[in-house]
Amino acid sequence: MLDDTFAHIRSDTVPVSDSLMDRIMMDADHVLATAHPLPENTGAAPSRGLGATLLDAIGGWPSAGGLAMATVAGLWIGVAPPAALAGVTDALWGGTYEVPVLNGDLLSALEG
Amino acid sequence: MAQAQTTADDAALLAAFAAGDRQAALVLTQRLTPRVMGQAYRMLGNRAEAEDVTQEAMMRLWKIAPDWQAERAQVTTWLYRVVANLCTDRLRKSGRGVALDAIAEPEDDAPSAADGLQTQARAAALQAALADLPDRQAQAVALRHLEELGNPRIAEIMDTNVRTVESLIARGKRALMAKLSGRKSELGYDDDTG
Repeated sequence: MLDDTFAHIRSDTVPVSDSLMDRIMMDADHVLATAHPLPENTGAAPSRGLGATLLDAIGGWPSAGGLAMATVAGLWIGVAPPAALAGVTDALWGGTYEVPVLNGDLLSALEG
Repeated sequence: MAQAQTTADDAALLAAFAAGDRQAALVLTQRLTPRVMGQAYRMLGNRAEAEDVTQEAMMRLWKIAPDWQAERAQVTTWLYRVVANLCTDRLRKSGRGVALDAIAEPEDDAPSAADGLQTQARAAALQAALADLPDRQAQAVALRHLEELGNPRIAEIMDTNVRTVESLIARGKRALMAKLSGRKSELGYDDDTG
């Protein structure tokens, strides 16, 4: 009695609808989206400061280092020029000058 | 060998899904949904309810994917258990009796139509009687006689031993016979020899 009915139930197959498959995949997508959220994309580039913009303009930190080195070297040459450059600096600046801050008459007047 | 390969594939696909691979979900859906739907439909006898159970079972699979331990169970074993539990829950909550009233009378006197409806009525009566069994008896009988699984596999699914499964099936079938015997003439069993 039971065996025939069990056999009938087993033989009564039902196809899986496309809509069911779609719903199952939507559930999978929802679980994926929850577990692996995409990074938020606002569409705007991050704002940058003026310093960062100027640094980029001269070529970044390596260029800034070279520029600093050249500045220090130039200052040093100006303060203590090597002997080989003495003629050049004299030609540019015209040698050395002594500039009196107070002349002799003024000093006498001050001393009374 | 082929089943072992499929088992490994199921677990690997589930791991890939947990890592974010949508294609793995698609393959698992196409592979597992017909089996899940079939089990639910055979136990519930209602397509809409079977679809609900199928969707719920697959949703639970997606959710458990990150914590899946392949060495503890096969994906199909786990699904058999989930579907059996969901079906018995649904049968219990629906409180369905023997739903013969829902089956239409034959519209003609053709023997084939009458036989078909009688067969349908018997199936509905058996599924309703299954709903009246204790959960584990109903699950064991359904896995044995509707899914045609061996007792060792049923024991694995139900997380028990083979002797308990044998006992559950025997008691379940006796209870089914008792429930249906009072309706033999209604279901046309008097005309049958078996």
